[in-house]
Amino acid sequence: MTDSTPHSSHTPATGPAVGQDEWVARHAARGLLPEGPLRRVEERLRVVPWWAWLVLFLATMSLLPVVESSGYVRRVGFDTVLYMLLALGLNIVVGWGGLLDLGYVAFYGIGAYAYAILDSDKFGIHLPTIVAVPLVVVIGAVAGFLVGLPSRRLTGDYLAIVTLFFLQLFQTVMTNGDSAFGHNLTGGPNGILNIDPLHLFGHDLTVQHQGVFAVSYFYVALAFFAVVYVALKFVNASRTGRAWRSLREDPLAAEAMGMPVNWLKLLSFSFGAAVAALTGTLFASLNVSVFPLTFYFVLLITVYTMVILGGSGSQPGVVAGALIISPLLEMLRDPGKSRVIFFAVLVGGIAVAARRSRALGITAAATLAFGFAAHEIARAIDSSWVSGERGGGFAGFVDHWVIHPAQLASWIPPVSYVGLIAATLGVTLLHGHRRLVALVPTLYLAAFVWENVMLSKPEPARYIVLGMILIALMILRPSGLLGERRVEIV
Amino acid sequence: MKKAIGLALAVLAATVVAASAQGGQQVSTQAAAGVSCSGTLKIAFLTPLTGGAGFLGNEQGSWAKYAVKTLAPAMGLKVQLVMGDTPVEQGAAVAQTLAQKYVGDKKVVGIIGPSTSGAAVAATQTFFQAGLAHISPSATKTDLTKSDPSTNGGKLEGTPAFFRDVPGDYIQGPTDARFMINTLHVKKVVIMDFQEPYSTGLASAVDRTLKAAGVATSRLSASNTTTDYSAFVTKVPSDADIVFFPTQKPGDAQTFAQQLLEQGKKAKVFGGDGSNDSSQFKVPGSYVSNFAPDITGFKADAKIIAGWKKDNPGKAVGSFGPPSYGAVQIMLTAIKKACVADHGVIKARHDVLRQMKKVKISNWILGGKFAFSTKSNDPLNAKFYIFQIQSNGSYKLVG
Amino acid sequence: MDQFTQLTVDALTLGSVYALIALGYTLVYGVLKLLNFAHGDVFMVGSFIGFGVLQELGGTSNPVVPVWALLVIVTFAAMAGCAALGVVIERFAYRPLRDAPRIAPLISALGVSFFLSNSMQLLFGADPRNYNTFDLSNGALYLKGFDIGNVRVPLLRIITIVSAFVLMIFLWFLVNRTRTGKAMRATSFDREAAAMMGINIDRVIVFTFVLGSALAGAAGVLFALRVPTTVSIGFVSGLKGFTAAVIGGIGSIPGAMAGGLILGFAESYTQGYVSTKWSDLVVFTILIAFMIFRPQGLLGRADIRKV
Repeated sequence: MTDSTPHSSHTPATGPAVGQDEWVARHAARGLLPEGPLRRVEERLRVVPWWAWLVLFLATMSLLPVVESSGYVRRVGFDTVLYMLLALGLNIVVGWGGLLDLGYVAFYGIGAYAYAILDSDKFGIHLPTIVAVPLVVVIGAVAGFLVGLPSRRLTGDYLAIVTLFFLQLFQTVMTNGDSAFGHNLTGGPNGILNIDPLHLFGHDLTVQHQGVFAVSYFYVALAFFAVVYVALKFVNASRTGRAWRSLREDPLAAEAMGMPVNWLKLLSFSFGAAVAALTGTLFASLNVSVFPLTFYFVLLITVYTMVILGGSGSQPGVVAGALIISPLLEMLRDPGKSRVIFFAVLVGGIAVAARRSRALGITAAATLAFGFAAHEIARAIDSSWVSGERGGGFAGFVDHWVIHPAQLASWIPPVSYVGLIAATLGVTLLHGHRRLVALVPTLYLAAFVWENVMLSKPEPARYIVLGMILIALMILRPSGLLGERRVEIV
Repeated sequence: MKKAIGLALAVLAATVVAASAQGGQQVSTQAAAGVSCSGTLKIAFLTPLTGGAGFLGNEQGSWAKYAVKTLAPAMGLKVQLVMGDTPVEQGAAVAQTLAQKYVGDKKVVGIIGPSTSGAAVAATQTFFQAGLAHISPSATKTDLTKSDPSTNGGKLEGTPAFFRDVPGDYIQGPTDARFMINTLHVKKVVIMDFQEPYSTGLASAVDRTLKAAGVATSRLSASNTTTDYSAFVTKVPSDADIVFFPTQKPGDAQTFAQQLLEQGKKAKVFGGDGSNDSSQFKVPGSYVSNFAPDITGFKADAKIIAGWKKDNPGKAVGSFGPPSYGAVQIMLTAIKKACVADHGVIKARHDVLRQMKKVKISNWILGGKFAFSTKSNDPLNAKFYIFQIQSNGSYKLVG
Repeated sequence: MDQFTQLTVDALTLGSVYALIALGYTLVYGVLKLLNFAHGDVFMVGSFIGFGVLQELGGTSNPVVPVWALLVIVTFAAMAGCAALGVVIERFAYRPLRDAPRIAPLISALGVSFFLSNSMQLLFGADPRNYNTFDLSNGALYLKGFDIGNVRVPLLRIITIVSAFVLMIFLWFLVNRTRTGKAMRATSFDREAAAMMGINIDRVIVFTFVLGSALAGAAGVLFALRVPTTVSIGFVSGLKGFTAAVIGGIGSIPGAMAGGLILGFAESYTQGYVSTKWSDLVVFTILIAFMIFRPQGLLGRADIRKV
């Protein structure tokens, strides 16, 4: 995952050197920090082995229930671990195999439903956990294999369609499964209820204690995560992993070299589906019920965003992606936190970009000034334009900068929103000084729209943020945060 | 560039920590020392605000907000309404997560909702264990308060902390069916469902009663996302009297009725409480059932309606909104009683729960008086009213 | 027999709308080899634009212009609006990714679709919007029509089917009898060779998007004339339009038309004769069968991969 060039502690000075590819060395050097203490720390950190990072990560995560006794935070933590597992699974198919699987969450659903059928009052089967969980994983792997069968003859886009339709198929079958040939197989839209909790070491895992989410599930999920992570790491380092990488980079060349391309594709589908099914068991046993609509398009896009953001192909990357997006989505539900996040991202974004250019710092200052000026002008024109309900603390502080009318005319949200999109797109078209000048009112307009239009409806706003992240990622940085920068040799 | 990203990540992480501190989550889960009634109390409303059923949550939310705004100060309470989005597409998980969130927030003393039966089933255990009373204005699934032998083996899904201010499907179904049998003298009825819990439950209830009376019934099932019912209309026999259409989208009832006319079928559409909207469903001759008469006709409610309309310009009074107003009213009354009983402090959430059952409202927004039944947490003497749509589009009470 | 006639009329109506959506997919795929997932949401936006314009013109209860003018204006407004939207999407979400690996624009399209549907929800709420076509001329469009045997075919359906066909014929004419159409066909055949022949690829692609999105806009209006529209119809309709394009052969214009009609028939007859519950399942099974056994669809070209 990290570039395997010789440690370029010196940039290649003059002419060509024997045994060293100049372009590669230059490319590597570009990514390095300038000389200094930060670079030394970074080089030290680079030699830390991956499992040490994993242990450190697990230790930090394990502290969460100790530090936070709020059931809500623990619950979000649990959900995040589930997302990390899902991201790892999707990484196998998309990141390692290079196959666009748009039906991935159907395997999640298959795992959840399989566990629900095997371990609930529905048919009276109550398999012990030791048997049920591996069985579900196997079922998931088989399902992945079957769905992967058409992939042998289909290329990228077609595979995407078939897998998307598989998702729709899953949805339809699960929703109508309450009258398949007169038998109630899947509970239909009412789902399956009263699923048994996991039973480990002689104890049923308690879900909640006096209404507060209990820690046992969190630790079990972390344990599952650790096992899956390590296992996948080994798979990736094995021959299969290398074969996957070659398949992803150039399927034709891989086939020409004698790799069993079809088998590899099926294998990646199976592995991904197996991980998803495992996650499904955790989900089903914790929620005590499953419904069909959970495993649908919105979940798919969420997991995809995590994988792409983190960097498809990189395990730590996708875990980081899940770690960022899951709490972010949760926090965006709450207007107070959303506001803080927005301004932090704004300020942080400018701060990061300004390191490279003083001009951006000036832009930030200009935006600030522009905002105050606009605010004062608006107040002078009509004081009701700035007297929207003031919250305490941060919200009140921000209200001195952003125009927050008391009453919003009904044409303002659509017009300002569309205007913001137009302005943003326009900024991307300009260059140099003009771009910075145009950026100032755009940033202010963004703050206005966020404060007045999007905060009042956090639910679609969250998903809009997700969609924007996805689009921006694909255009600006398709390799995500920690993914490898792939060079396409046309 | 990677390092810049790393720095940005660090900034983001710091923000995350700061933001979560900002949110001010109360962390204590022990029986709290008590929340003072002179401070701001919170009630949370779990309802679908996005997705296919989003219109439901937005309508209910607007009425709930209005109720909090007008009723709380009158009772001397400072109450903040928090909305939680439980889209039907995301099922149980989000309901449980949000349940955890509100359980963990010490200031939350009562819950309105969950509005959808699926979310109610998912979250009720959490609320019950935390002692939080929750009252739903629209989750009509029978086995939330009464055991229903036809589903789930007769096990009760609800808990003693679950209340509702609208009657359950076990009343609506038979009421509608009996009207059809006794007043309309039907011989053949087509029953539709939409592959989601509300309609399937109601359809089964009506089917059972009709079959028991010897009426010929046939079932049709559309998916939740169906908008074009032409093919379904062709399957309606030309001698069918009624098509029972328990949709939650009045527009679909209108479409179906129009397409029946288009194809020259004589059957009339009979909608459930979800199709109640005189601005959207207005094909003359159709029937609608509702748990309240049209409140726009009530003089006692005129002030409330006018005030709500002022806050929500351009919106029509629907059928899902007023029960939400009522639910908030009941909750606030229970909170007030708990405050009085404990001398200005709510010692524990159970106190509100204890007071809920005793709440009686004399100027009930849906007409008459309100009280809970002694046998279940459903309204006492709940009944359903049947309306017929007249040629000018208005709803006339017929049963 | 009556049921058969009725179902056939339904099938034609449904199929025409699907065909219009499928055409948009096919046109874009032919030129860019990209499956534009956002197309379904452009369709949805079209229906909303139509609604907005309709309200401005007084709504169906008190239209300020004659009925036929109302329908024409609303349709053209939606087509224009969607064409603009399509151009913007292409310029900013797809053009930067033209030389990226094939996965990139696909995922970007998913993001755009998500973004569009949620933006519409943010701005206009989740309530359904009903054109109330029944109110026009006291239900004339529903109750008056031609009779075939015992079945009356209402005016509204005739309008839907005829308009769709007129648009398709117009498209066929554009693509096969004009220079720009020839440029489109050349680009879809081999982009680099077309560029070398002096064709302005960017302009051709923009033109393609304009056409496809305009058709989606028209489909949106035709759809919403009969059933209420919400912000969530984009996904499922997009999926169906897609299915139609693939069945007919993606990249082939007559294929898209045929695919749309086939899909309409399949859905209608399955719902009518087999079971309403499983119609979706049948449709998707047909699709998957096609994908496995004949991925190029009915009229598409078998993909010859040059090594």
